[in-house]
Amino acid sequence: MAHENSSGVLSYARLVTVARISNLTVRYGNFTALDDLSCEIPEGCTGLLGPNGAGKTTLLKTILGFVNPTSGEGTVMGKDIRTDGMAIRQLIGLMPEQDCHIPGMTAVGFVSYAGELSGMPPADALRRAHEVLEYCGLGEARYRNVETYSTGMKQRIKLAQALVHGPKLLLLDEPTNGLDPRGREEMLDLVRSVSHGRGVNVIVSSHLLPDIERVCDRVIVVIKGKLRTAGTIKDLKKLAGQPADVELREPSLAFSNLLMDKGLTVAPPKGNVYRVQSELPPEELLRVVQRAAIESGAQVRGFETAVRTLEEVFLEALTS
Amino acid sequence: MIQIENASRWFGQVIGVNDVTHTIEPGVTALLGMNGAGKSTLLRLITGQIRPTTGSIKVFGNEPFANPEVYKRMGYCPEIDQFYEHRTGRQFVNYLARLAGMSAAEAKTRTDEVLHEVGMADRADKKLAGYSKGMRQRIKLAQAILHDPDIILLDEPLNGLDPVGRREFMSYLHTLAERGKTILVSSHILFEVEQMTKSIMLLHRGRLLAAGDVSLIREYIDKYPHRVRIETPQPREVAAKLIQLPYVLKVEFDEWRGGIELQTRELNQFFAFLPTLTTEENFTITGFSSPDNNLESIFHYLIE
Amino acid sequence: MSNIKPIADLSYRNYDGPLKKPGSRWWVIAKNGIRIALKKKALWGLMFVSAWYYLVMLVVLFFVQQVTSSNPAGAQAMKAFMERLIWPDQFLHGFSYAQLPMLIIALMLGAGSIANDNRANAMLVYLSKPCDKREYLFGKWIGIALPIFVIMVVPTIIFYGYGALTFREYGFLKDAWLLPKMLAIIPIAAIFHASIVVGISSMFNQARNASATYAGIYFITNFFTLLMGGIWASSRGETPFPVKHLFYASIDGVLIGVCKAIIGTKGSAPFGIQSPGGVSQVPAPNIAAILGIALLISVVFVLIAWRKIRAVEVIG
Repeated sequence: MAHENSSGVLSYARLVTVARISNLTVRYGNFTALDDLSCEIPEGCTGLLGPNGAGKTTLLKTILGFVNPTSGEGTVMGKDIRTDGMAIRQLIGLMPEQDCHIPGMTAVGFVSYAGELSGMPPADALRRAHEVLEYCGLGEARYRNVETYSTGMKQRIKLAQALVHGPKLLLLDEPTNGLDPRGREEMLDLVRSVSHGRGVNVIVSSHLLPDIERVCDRVIVVIKGKLRTAGTIKDLKKLAGQPADVELREPSLAFSNLLMDKGLTVAPPKGNVYRVQSELPPEELLRVVQRAAIESGAQVRGFETAVRTLEEVFLEALTS
Repeated sequence: MIQIENASRWFGQVIGVNDVTHTIEPGVTALLGMNGAGKSTLLRLITGQIRPTTGSIKVFGNEPFANPEVYKRMGYCPEIDQFYEHRTGRQFVNYLARLAGMSAAEAKTRTDEVLHEVGMADRADKKLAGYSKGMRQRIKLAQAILHDPDIILLDEPLNGLDPVGRREFMSYLHTLAERGKTILVSSHILFEVEQMTKSIMLLHRGRLLAAGDVSLIREYIDKYPHRVRIETPQPREVAAKLIQLPYVLKVEFDEWRGGIELQTRELNQFFAFLPTLTTEENFTITGFSSPDNNLESIFHYLIE
Repeated sequence: MSNIKPIADLSYRNYDGPLKKPGSRWWVIAKNGIRIALKKKALWGLMFVSAWYYLVMLVVLFFVQQVTSSNPAGAQAMKAFMERLIWPDQFLHGFSYAQLPMLIIALMLGAGSIANDNRANAMLVYLSKPCDKREYLFGKWIGIALPIFVIMVVPTIIFYGYGALTFREYGFLKDAWLLPKMLAIIPIAAIFHASIVVGISSMFNQARNASATYAGIYFITNFFTLLMGGIWASSRGETPFPVKHLFYASIDGVLIGVCKAIIGTKGSAPFGIQSPGGVSQVPAPNIAAILGIALLISVVFVLIAWRKIRAVEVIG
């Protein structure tokens, strides 16, 4: 993919693929979990969406090198998923969804043990464990037994043990499971800061779509074993024609009628929000809307370019 | 209806809930709070599993503790995830129907109905041990509505459900609320709670920090004036104009995204004034919004 | 002008250091198991207790030596004592009297090894790293077998050294193969205990259930052995065929049988006590048979562990 910069010099941007899956079919007996699925996961943070039982989990297991496909092939960071499972797992960090820990250890012990299990020499593992625990926000608590930890702390340790060996690809399975709102925010911030600018690629699998929106740049939607949608979140959310969402203080039929009289398409309100279609540029549309509001006695409280929510993208993919 | 009056409950020296007073009306109410704030204790008090150490809880005018009359009108969908794993979903729900006092025939019909309502009609004949999280949640909801209770309490009901399931569940709760039931949902997923209801109860360290309508609560958070974001290619000019308004407290420039962000306590006056900028004085404004007018910001402000 | 910023960037940085290839994880797992076990203070005490026969004999022999060298009158009695002493049997006694403490040590080392992991869902962590079931099981197993070996071997070698230096004239070195034989027997005991413990641990979710089970098997089968021994002693060797062989049908019995068979002795009374009559010791079993049984039991329990280790779904 070549592009010109400001001084007219051609340069090639390398889109490095982290994982490439080609025509992958995975069958468990009669059940087809993945059906001729092909996708490419580029650098950066990718969200993996899909209904339960639709192949999302199988895809993750495949990336980890646990699954023997019926046909098709794939590589993760250059390693074949059929033959190099162990080597792949040395380069990947997994934060599982379920609760798991090694009994009888402190956080430092656990994370450095995880590091040694990944192949790090003991001294490096210990040093790195401290670094990663610090980064994940565990202060003095790291010297306590893991079994005494709260849910939030357990999630952080799971993330720490996934990061300790410096993986190039991080797999997060429901990272905000069981966390209260503050914990969720902190975890999402952590994930975001790891994935941007640190050279760590992340795949997040979650049912909480706003979480994915917050953290990921791209998404892959897997439904019934097939790849339904893939693309950057920004692109997927774009609506044709640049409509605007107008939020009023209270719903007003007069307002809506007035706009329609002027030739604009106005959708029925969702709560206080009206979606208005027009050819006008945003600032012009705003003027028209505000004039209409003043005339009809309504008050405009918000005006934004309308986008689809990720949930709408997902539901559309589901029904198409 | 649930009436809580100065209810406190402690366990040894550990305080569970501390002097909570509130009346929960029909409709959907959200119970919010950090982990350890007392939500589970409050739910256990309401479902009559424990008694308040001081104060009182009354459900339909009666104390719920060990009171089958109250239990008959309450359904509880707990957070814990343990069943009789060797039974099938249908057998489990049927068993609970019988426990609720239904005859064998009633239990069978009701089980079928309820499984249909939660969307498990075709999958209920496999052993519970093999169920996914989402399926288990549905079975839990099924057993909670078996006896058509007037009050339904749900603790993290959407856990493990995929986006479609979440939508269905929320709309089902909405239907139940429209039938006049009192629904209390405890959840950490604020953006979903927002879609379910405007009425919240926020617990913090055992005390009731805020209760009532979300927008009303926002008005009362003095410490954090309302924020308004304005997208404009003329940030400095627009800012200069807005600074002159006496009720605009602060204006910040967003280096990263362009545009400005301001703080004001008088949203009404501000938004009444804003049209003059675009219509009369011809400034170019491409968008504006109130970024902290949502539940997550309110939660953040109240619980620092 | 220096390019170094005065404030360091302490945010996340990558790890680009060495990563060992898979195949050596078993030692990490074993090391961890041993480290956790060594924290238990009771273990240290038990290590001494397991060598109690050797300790007592050391004291007795030292005392005997002092008496013979200083008092010629008592020397005659002592000399008779020394002639009666069958050296290989001392090792047999040292070995067999260590078995009960060794059982407790084996349980302390290994009852929780897999059971606790089952409870804490630890396999999720192991399998998400480049570590497979084989290395996991081998690491757990070695983490039990190796300490058992060391705990048994050290007192044996010390006693052998003392005997070889001091009691040569009393025929200590008559059997030149004695030490190598012990060095062959002790690993078999280590393998035996470790395999059974690992197998039983994998069947449970809690260490104490596994402990109770193995201890239960041990004591019940031991009781059986004692019964057989009693029958044998009271009937002076004139019993039908099975008693002689059933004597070895227990955890203790198998190991004692292995020891007797390899050393080539049928045993004698401990501490050089004069035993009444003569035929009160059950003769050694067939070496191939008893070794075969020991190996078979070990393999069976290791296979149980292999099947029981739930290769959990890392993505649920």
